[in-house]
Amino acid sequence: MKHVTTLNTRRLQNTVKKGGCGECQTSCQSACKTSCTVGNQTCEQTK
Amino acid sequence: MIHQYKNNGFNIVLDVNSGAIHVVDDVVYDSIALYEDHSKEEIIDELSGKYSVEEIGEALEEIRQLAEDKVLFTEDDYRDYIIDFKKRPTVVKALCLHIAHDCNLACKYCFAEEGEYHGRRALMSYEVGKAALDFLIANSGSRRNLEVDFFGGEPTLNFQVVKDLVAYGREQEKIHDKNFRFTLTTNGVLLDDDIMEFANKEMANVVLSIDGRKEINDMMRPFRGGKGSYDLIVPKFQKLAESRNQMNYYVRGTFTRNNLDFSKDVLHLADLGFKQISVEPVVAQETDSYALREEDLPQLFEEYDNLAKEMVRRKKEGNDFNFFHFMIDLEGGPCVAKRLSGCGSGTEYLAVTPWGDFYPCHQFVGNEDFLMGNVFEGIKNTDIRDEFKSCNVYAKEKCRDCFAKFYCSGGCAANSYNFHGDIHNAYDVGCALQKKRIECAIMIKAAEALSEAE
Repeated sequence: MKHVTTLNTRRLQNTVKKGGCGECQTSCQSACKTSCTVGNQTCEQTK
Repeated sequence: MIHQYKNNGFNIVLDVNSGAIHVVDDVVYDSIALYEDHSKEEIIDELSGKYSVEEIGEALEEIRQLAEDKVLFTEDDYRDYIIDFKKRPTVVKALCLHIAHDCNLACKYCFAEEGEYHGRRALMSYEVGKAALDFLIANSGSRRNLEVDFFGGEPTLNFQVVKDLVAYGREQEKIHDKNFRFTLTTNGVLLDDDIMEFANKEMANVVLSIDGRKEINDMMRPFRGGKGSYDLIVPKFQKLAESRNQMNYYVRGTFTRNNLDFSKDVLHLADLGFKQISVEPVVAQETDSYALREEDLPQLFEEYDNLAKEMVRRKKEGNDFNFFHFMIDLEGGPCVAKRLSGCGSGTEYLAVTPWGDFYPCHQFVGNEDFLMGNVFEGIKNTDIRDEFKSCNVYAKEKCRDCFAKFYCSGGCAANSYNFHGDIHNAYDVGCALQKKRIECAIMIKAAEALSEAE
């Protein structure tokens, strides 16, 4: 495309079927305990 | 639903429901803003003073193509899915063990009130900790990875129990085919070679509390006598960070109204050599003098913007560092179920007091209304668990139409409760800052991607 650069992202729609295994970390526990930062979590299935 | 914004010279369009991110030129940026509720003719009419008809035509064609590819203007089809997902039986996969309700510092903003959590000073016994780990294993179903955080007050005040519980966990994980990920949160005062060696062997992550510049840290994180803690902890934290190869740790600070210029504290920590940094807004009552106010937001936004710009610059120089709140995993981040179902407090995640009581998370400890049970008898008050279980993005009015919902998961239940008396609400100043951080995080990714493409 001439006017648009699309970044590589995981399509959220595609995670519905196989998602929800729950093996990932609880979202408030990685760096700091008073902030929810789910967007940076690593999916255990894509490790 | 889309969210479009300009940051650091980039025009960014986030397609919220697919997670797709587009960096676009001005003509596409302006056309997208009109696309959903204007005809092609109306858009041309409106923008033709600024761009040529040909350019607008090209832009509209590219927008149409993106929508056809389901990466622009995608619908939110997840609501029923999440409601069904949340109906699944609950398993517990993480515990926050309050190893010591006592502390050797007297930080002014401490929600634990110098470690006492509105109660008495106490240390967790090995028996209570062991029962907590047994409870976790027994209630974790088929989940293999189990997280246990050694928290306080200050857990190094009771470190033999930490060591003994890790030994017990390592023994039990083999028997039950589990994998414990232990973490330690410490203020560093008692950190010595023995604790460092143990942490490096056993702790998946360590969180090292420091606020940044010496004068800022020492103002809010003094000893009981008033002396600052900076000079004592910095060399120890530097040593520990190096011994962990600058990975799997965070120096973690809190910023307050006393240091609205907190980007200087982040950069100070980076200049001390730390590569994993988290500096976060204080959670306080409105009446506290150091609490952030709505009127502070413009300055705080600017701080985040400046920090993001500086991080892009340092990355180009090969002198980068991670800032926890700007970390965003676009290619491998969590699934929709995880993103929308909330943080897991009160269901997957519980806090355990020194005497074995369960609370939904460490922020609720000491508030008897949220006492859920104890490690010996299990969860007695299932109403509290069910209330937290019902908490997801779609259960929160403010979250439904928010672009950030896939990145913050509905925010912190404790913040919501502190400000609105209800876990199904949201803390507005926190939301405003969260949204800003997501915008900055995406901008950094855009800058990196385009710089690589060059």
